[in-house]
Amino acid sequence: MISGFVFRALEGRIVAAVGILLGIGILVPALNLLTPPDSALHIPTYAMSLFGKYLCYALLALALDLVWGYCGILSLGHGAFFALGGYAMGMYLMRQIGPRGVYGNPILPDFMVFLNYKELPWFWHGFDWFVFAMAMVIVVPGLLAFIFGWFAFRSRVNGVYLSIITQAMTYALLLAFFRNDMGFGGNNGLTDFKDILGFSVQADGTRAVLFFMSALMLSLCLILASAIVRSKFGKVLVGVRDAESRVRFLGFRVENIKLFTFVVSAMMAGIAGALFVPQVGIINPGEFAPANSIEVVVWTAVGGRGTLIGPIIGAILVNGGKSFFTGAFPEIWLFALGGLFIAVTLFLPKGIVGTIQHGFKARKALKAAADAEKGRGDAAAVAQAQAAE
Amino acid sequence: MNTISETRQKSLLYLENVSVSFDGFKALNSLSFVVEPGELRAIIGPNGAGKTTMMDIITGKTRPDTGTVLFEDAIDLTKKDEADIAQLGIGRKFQKPTVFESHTVWDNLELALNRSRGVFATLFYTLSPEDKARIEEILETIRMTHRKNEYAANLSHGQKQWLEIGMLLAQEPKLLLVDEPVAGMTDAETAETAVLLKEIAKTRSVVVVEHDMGFIRELGVKVTCLAEGSVLAEGSIDFVSNDPKVIENYLGR
Amino acid sequence: MTSKVPFRVLQSLGLLLCLMFSFAAPSHAQSSVGTDPKPLFDQLAKADFAEAEKLIGQLAATGDARLVPALNAFSEGDLYFRKSDSLVFIGKVAGSSYELTDPVTGASAGQAAKNAVTKIKINNSLRRVIRSAMGGLTLMSPDRGVRLQAADAVLRSPSAENLELLETAISKETDGEVKARMVEARAVSLLSSDRSIDEKRAAIQTIKNYGGRNAIGILMGASASLDPSLKGDVDAAIASIESGQRLWDVGQNVWYGVSLGSVLLLAAIGLAITFGVMGIINMAHGEMVMLGAYSTFVVQQVIRDHAPGLFDWSLAIALPVAFLVTGAVGLVIERGVIRFLYGRPLETLLATWGVSLILQQTIRSLFGPTNQEVGNPSWMSGSFPVGGMTITWNRMWIIAFSLSIFVALLVVMKKSSFGLNMRAVTQNRRMASSMGIRTPWVDAFTFALGSGIAGIAGVALSQIDNVSPNLGQSYIIDSFMVVVFGGVGNLWGTLVGALSLGVLNKFLEPSVGAVLGKILVLVLIILFIQKRPRGLFALKGRAVEA
Repeated sequence: MISGFVFRALEGRIVAAVGILLGIGILVPALNLLTPPDSALHIPTYAMSLFGKYLCYALLALALDLVWGYCGILSLGHGAFFALGGYAMGMYLMRQIGPRGVYGNPILPDFMVFLNYKELPWFWHGFDWFVFAMAMVIVVPGLLAFIFGWFAFRSRVNGVYLSIITQAMTYALLLAFFRNDMGFGGNNGLTDFKDILGFSVQADGTRAVLFFMSALMLSLCLILASAIVRSKFGKVLVGVRDAESRVRFLGFRVENIKLFTFVVSAMMAGIAGALFVPQVGIINPGEFAPANSIEVVVWTAVGGRGTLIGPIIGAILVNGGKSFFTGAFPEIWLFALGGLFIAVTLFLPKGIVGTIQHGFKARKALKAAADAEKGRGDAAAVAQAQAAE
Repeated sequence: MNTISETRQKSLLYLENVSVSFDGFKALNSLSFVVEPGELRAIIGPNGAGKTTMMDIITGKTRPDTGTVLFEDAIDLTKKDEADIAQLGIGRKFQKPTVFESHTVWDNLELALNRSRGVFATLFYTLSPEDKARIEEILETIRMTHRKNEYAANLSHGQKQWLEIGMLLAQEPKLLLVDEPVAGMTDAETAETAVLLKEIAKTRSVVVVEHDMGFIRELGVKVTCLAEGSVLAEGSIDFVSNDPKVIENYLGR
Repeated sequence: MTSKVPFRVLQSLGLLLCLMFSFAAPSHAQSSVGTDPKPLFDQLAKADFAEAEKLIGQLAATGDARLVPALNAFSEGDLYFRKSDSLVFIGKVAGSSYELTDPVTGASAGQAAKNAVTKIKINNSLRRVIRSAMGGLTLMSPDRGVRLQAADAVLRSPSAENLELLETAISKETDGEVKARMVEARAVSLLSSDRSIDEKRAAIQTIKNYGGRNAIGILMGASASLDPSLKGDVDAAIASIESGQRLWDVGQNVWYGVSLGSVLLLAAIGLAITFGVMGIINMAHGEMVMLGAYSTFVVQQVIRDHAPGLFDWSLAIALPVAFLVTGAVGLVIERGVIRFLYGRPLETLLATWGVSLILQQTIRSLFGPTNQEVGNPSWMSGSFPVGGMTITWNRMWIIAFSLSIFVALLVVMKKSSFGLNMRAVTQNRRMASSMGIRTPWVDAFTFALGSGIAGIAGVALSQIDNVSPNLGQSYIIDSFMVVVFGGVGNLWGTLVGALSLGVLNKFLEPSVGAVLGKILVLVLIILFIQKRPRGLFALKGRAVEA
């Protein structure tokens, strides 16, 4: 049963994508660590970290695609799950600083000493333990998604209403995390990390491992997403997207289907956030900004929602473009991003991968039509091929 | 009545004094209506007579303000939601054909198949030989075997109607509610649909809402005429179409 | 809020001007005591601080308003005595020497070298004495405004020295409001004097009757130095004021809430059209508000440069300008982007978000990323008390303004033929089109109307918020909340939604703080939408599903 579930996932394109991702995951760190800095093949650490960041964004986009592209839920609050995963990782990293902080307090992180905390808040306990922290990386976003989704899907809030309240959710969290007395470092967030599992977060070796982990987690989540969308459940998911009431009248519990997908997606976003934080060295409330979540939507849209490879390509392309523009012409970037939003919705609604796939399918349909004509001369097949064009 | 009929259930669907209003507009006004097991019933009525609202209430989409809705004389449908009611065995075809356009005909039927519908059951579902046979059987019934790998989006309007009926068959319902099945169909398709519905009604109860009097005549079954949210007349097509109230309200003089 | 600062400056400038005028017209303010003030000033030359304090008291007792500039100069450290004859003058630096003027008449007294004069020493406790003395001196000014200000000044820094002067002033005062203020000032001053206990008891009653937060502060401050036998009276008075104040506090909170609600209404009302009526998720709505605010800024710049006299009219001029600018931008957006996306609300959301980024960056490129200074016309400045509440004019006007926009919009929707077309198109597009209504143009102009209203909202919001390229961002989520909470497609819902969210916010604020209050409101709305997915004033029935 399980093996069938996984086996279905490993369709040609997914296998190829996973192969490429893992290849990059090994090759990039190898070129960083094993070649001398003056070699033409050498990849500098900052470039590796930058690309590692893109991989985390790609995972976030994949998570969003699962709910938006396949289930039709446009979440404008996925940045919140990403940030929560990031905070969980950040809390672990803060506890690892130990007495090396500016104030030298062995228990309390610097910001707590600064804000006159007497003892560690209850929700910080356990985060010095890596396994617990990693569990929280998926449990906390998953729990939030579960509670939010439980209420929202049960009362059939959908479409733009759902989008608006997901945006309100991340906005409320943004305001909350900005408060100093929330116990998450307020404005400044969590930073000045020293080491992870005993290895310095600054060291090239650690960075290389983090990069590989990003590629690996992205690959695993890609396989999981593929298994989900290729199962009967995935077909129901698309059914919910296209004709929700039909699914309901067929006897499926749409709220459970949405809830499951939303929670899985939130967990993936949490993992992405957790891998993101040690690579960029900071997590602050800015990650909750509604604008960030909307940006994720455009990565997904550019790459092609409703395809699994699309969001990965979209996230890497758009963020690569962002790094380039903000470095070279910072004035232009918002124009470019804004233009991208408009252009994609108007001219490329299926995104890059979706459009390519569509063209591919249309060609196949044309060929099938030609074959049918030769055989039975089925007029309907021609009509259908024309429709597919 | 003899002893056998006493143990047998008297009705499959039982509506009594059902009323519902939207912002003061009474969509249903003390509607009472009974469908017996194995019955094929046609419902006619002018626009706004409450036909679709009645279906909404039976399938759990709308809750009635007052009244009783029972399935198999025991189950109170007003307490259940759409998914529960579908699982109890009530299938519904919408006025506008509603199929999963980005799935193939085969996948549409596979989704509709009456199997466990939980999240994990569907995640780990694999197509068994029996299920495969059942889908192929339905494909034959709706005459779409040669198009089973076609995307539903590419079907013609009439074919989508048929696919939807096929999906309802796959659901194996005890009661089938069909809303305007022949709207937008050619005459040939209409005739074929009548044959198909009669065939289906051999094994289950079917309620058909239709405007097309020719089609209803073709079905040749008991007709209920609704107007302003309640039953105006009930009987054979000839009886109903000669009722002066029906003529005034619906058929026109 | 930036508006507060210029307002304060204006206020103190006004006070200064009034003082100058009162000085220029000394005829009325003849000394009632009849002492020549000049020798008193000259004694300052050799006085220590304690003696100086007495001298100032005597100067104040003259009731001569001409002394105000000299006293002011003294507190600024601009009072000097000439070493040669120990006469006292006001000194102003003029190159390497001082320009001397007579402290009483203000007549020029020639120049003196820097080493020929000595500054008369001043300290903070003397400054306080001077301030109250100045208050006393202007109590008998012919200008009603000056007298009122003076009474307020005494009220702020009461001293027993002013007591007799106040009593003289009260006996002469004819203006009711000024007199009441003076009576209160006298009561407050009396508490720190050596008058009898009975008089003090009466004063406590007077203060109690006046009420307000300040009265509590005054009584609390005074209670320590008062005779113990009065303690009971003070406590009773404080308790009585507080219970009265509690009601006023509720009133004030409601007012703040309504005021916030009117801001929300302004921000959301355009959205109620584009989202509520047309079903378009316009994420660039906030930027329309922002464009309206920048239109105001540009209009004010032009007025400053070319016709400064029109400044008080700048908002009235900015209204049509903002409406046309944002309406035109809205028209372009609808024709260029949105019309291709009808029926795909989520895509519209993304595309308009893109538009909002472009608009923001355009404004940032044109005007820079920093806040722009938009001035308040004089009629928007200041405040007036209503019982125990303070009502500022700008809030007052904004409430009036947003309500009138609401009414105007209601009239357009219900009475005009354009409104009829608009409703027809939203209810049944195909039917409307076959009736000969040009649906694409109705769409375009409806969107332009919604955008234009956002623009005039921006004119009003420029008066109370920072005008920066990010202005719109801070309103967009709140606006959507209001429309969704109130119920889509219903202007009344938007009104009720905006006002109730405003009031709820302000009532949560005192107990949980502003940020947490806002978070709570967001959470409450999220929960509310679960219960009523279509908002407060929801449409029901089949039409909604279609």
